[in-house]
Amino acid sequence: MAEDRSYANPDVLVSTEWVAQHSNDPTVRIAESDEDYLLYEQGHIPGAVKVDWFTILQDPLKRDFIDKKGFEKLMGELGISNDTTVVFYGDKSNWFACYAFWLFNLYGHQKKKIMDGGRAKWVAEGRPLTKDVPSYPKTRYKAQDPDLSVRAFRTDVFKHLEKKLPLVDVRSPQEYRGELLHMPGYPQEGAMRGGHIPGAKNIPWSSAVREDQTFKPAEELRRLYESQGITPDKEIIAYCRIGERSSHTWFVLKYLLGYPKVKNYDGSWTEWGNLVGAPIEKP
Amino acid sequence: MNLDRQAQIEFLLDRYENPRYKRRLEDADVSMEGGNPGCGDIVRLYLKFDGDRLAKISFEGQGCTISQASADVLAEMVEGQTIQELKAFTHEELIEVLGQGIVQNRTRCALLSLDTLKMALRKHRERKVLKAQV
Repeated sequence: MAEDRSYANPDVLVSTEWVAQHSNDPTVRIAESDEDYLLYEQGHIPGAVKVDWFTILQDPLKRDFIDKKGFEKLMGELGISNDTTVVFYGDKSNWFACYAFWLFNLYGHQKKKIMDGGRAKWVAEGRPLTKDVPSYPKTRYKAQDPDLSVRAFRTDVFKHLEKKLPLVDVRSPQEYRGELLHMPGYPQEGAMRGGHIPGAKNIPWSSAVREDQTFKPAEELRRLYESQGITPDKEIIAYCRIGERSSHTWFVLKYLLGYPKVKNYDGSWTEWGNLVGAPIEKP
Repeated sequence: MNLDRQAQIEFLLDRYENPRYKRRLEDADVSMEGGNPGCGDIVRLYLKFDGDRLAKISFEGQGCTISQASADVLAEMVEGQTIQELKAFTHEELIEVLGQGIVQNRTRCALLSLDTLKMALRKHRERKVLKAQV
């Protein structure tokens, strides 16, 4: 397990050493989920499978994730059963690892963990990588219906606004202020408007990690969020641009700090910033 | 995964790990940096012209495999072209060489180098206009 940092659910994080010791454990499946599409092919933790957020976890035709059936099929192909402990890791301080973790949560997979520090820490410690792609016996997997207590749709955000409940915008301050709508000559993700959802607090996802990409201790995290009014007694919605960085914050709030009611708005700014009639705040 | 797809991945990994054009060009006529704010990819292109022809091109940068491999592949494709040819160079031409099936879900990364090249050409043209006015 990772060092004691007084998290509400310490078992949800494992160290690189733990992963190294369990890379041949048949009850454990290590899964790499990156922003960089070809990072896995450059080398991955021995035994790890690739869980690409876009090509594998998304529905190719509608803007949504794979459905319950698709998830069951994917689990079968990855050799993951309902009892398998899935350990996610990836680049960018585990952005997409947390995204995959969140989706597995949505479909009710119980045993799941994040490798603290992600791929960067594994590499920095000089641990082995391989280009060998593993193959596991197919399994029969039974997923749960989507747990919507962790997912917010735009209608939920509107209701949230009416009730004046807190939102966390985890993007960079420049995105929050609406300064970064696009880079010169190249529209950024198609958002028509810049700014943020009215009343949202800007707490960039990166505030939750240390330099070595591991998570900050619970006390520091609690101070960070509570100082902005993001407290465990409230219903919280986190969002970013496409829902990946906010999965990271969702993971911190729900699992590391134990907040009972946290949702990820995966439509995020690419939906809200394009939504006709949706209110926007901009300094 | 079929062999074609695997071969295409190997091609991109090779260009990322062993880039042919990744260096600073000290005598560049124009340099231009482009970036994807969302994911942190950065490419700086250096262009050296001989009259109307792109005599030398190189790049520096950091970011994901596709964005950096794309810059290296683009440099090889466009070196020696005239400004007219560079202006006519399309996203589709680059995507075809990079592999549509591989980069289709990461087009922002794949096209960063070409979009930066187009911006560099604009900068070069503006400089020439200014120079002519002096």
